[in-house]
Amino acid sequence: MAGSQDVFDAIVMADERFHGEGYQEGYEEGSSLGIIEGRRYGTLHGAKIGSEIGCYQGFAFAWRCLLHSCATEKDSKKMKALESLIGMIQKFPYDDPTYDKLHEDLDRIRGKFKQVCPLHVSFDS
Amino acid sequence: MKDSLVLLARVPAHPDSRCWFLAWNPAGTLLASCGGDRRVRIWGTEGDSWICKSVLSEGHQRTVRKVAWSPCGNYLASASFDATTCIWKKNQDDFECVTTLEGHENEVKSVAWAPSGNLLATCSRDKSVWVWEVDEEDEYECVSVLNSHTQDVKHVVWHPSQELLASASYDDTVKLYREEEDDWVCYATLEGHESTVWSLAFDPSGQRLASCSDDRTVRIWRQYLPNNEQGVACSGSDPSWKCICTLSGFHSRTIYDVAWCQLTGALATACGDDAIRVFEEDPSSDPQQPTFSLTAHLPQAHSQDVNCVAWNPKEQGLLASCSDDGEVAFWKYQRPEGI
Repeated sequence: MAGSQDVFDAIVMADERFHGEGYQEGYEEGSSLGIIEGRRYGTLHGAKIGSEIGCYQGFAFAWRCLLHSCATEKDSKKMKALESLIGMIQKFPYDDPTYDKLHEDLDRIRGKFKQVCPLHVSFDS
Repeated sequence: MKDSLVLLARVPAHPDSRCWFLAWNPAGTLLASCGGDRRVRIWGTEGDSWICKSVLSEGHQRTVRKVAWSPCGNYLASASFDATTCIWKKNQDDFECVTTLEGHENEVKSVAWAPSGNLLATCSRDKSVWVWEVDEEDEYECVSVLNSHTQDVKHVVWHPSQELLASASYDDTVKLYREEEDDWVCYATLEGHESTVWSLAFDPSGQRLASCSDDRTVRIWRQYLPNNEQGVACSGSDPSWKCICTLSGFHSRTIYDVAWCQLTGALATACGDDAIRVFEEDPSSDPQQPTFSLTAHLPQAHSQDVNCVAWNPKEQGLLASCSDDGEVAFWKYQRPEGI
């Protein structure tokens, strides 16, 4: 009797079983798609941040070279600000996207860049 | 109570436009006003009446939102929606624009001079606060760009005696900054307001800060130094700030400005319900939990929103206010007896 009970059970429970299997399959497919999409997004976003910071770094290096030849007190102040920007860029954790202060640090770098950005105006004049 | 605030004079300072802000010079003899007409006007007395001494018209392409006098009284800074801040030098009655500070991405909302006169702060809709250093040759150099706020920054104000800066924002918070190793850092965030914080004012000692908001309250914050007797926790060597009083139920609309008289300690507010109110601290209340009483309430001080209130720094009880109706009004405040 136990066997026929199992058969009935299998029929009665089929709905639930198929639902469970379907969910599992869907979940797996969904997560693999999600991982692909996430990876693509992460690459894109990371590249954007990398290119932004790279631009700041190039700017800072170039101005450090140009300012090297000048040695007035004013220039030394500007140099200090540039060095501080370079220091912040070098400390930025490029290999740890889960670093919790990533955006805070990025905002500080952006602020520092804005601060040294008007340098060229006074340099030209 | 009605007689405690008496109208002395009313002038159409910025006709057909809004008058946004007022600033008394340190000597208390001149009042600067600015408005939507892109102009700054300087007011002084002649006999009993207030007259316009100069108009600063060449300088800004858009609304001038705020003005600030340098502590020496020889310079005036004007912050404009055209993204620039102009520095004007005073020669007798004439003002000459000596520098234009550029850098903000869009509307500059406020400007303030540090008590030493060597530092200037500006803030903008671009969410940043900039600190500028002034050298002997009147040259301005940006020493820090602070991106601590997450929204439009509405107001900046310096501590009356120390190099401490406070800013108020559309993100409902107040932030405090100090210098650290050649850079400026945000060391405290005051959270409590439920909507935009519009303005800030330090009390004469600098120990307390008043903030006013779109949530129709004024909050009083008090500074607690590390190891304070009251046992308020501080992180490291930075003082912490705690809200010790909330003035609610008095205002029916947004409070746009708050002014703490540096001579008497009276607190005035400018409100979107066209009224001016004055509060005084109850002398018998606990300094850790002070209470304030409404000592003057003028419901129709202006015909539209009151944007600013400013106490004269030298003459007790002389209050100036300005409004969306373009007018500037001068008031005499008399503390009611028995307070």
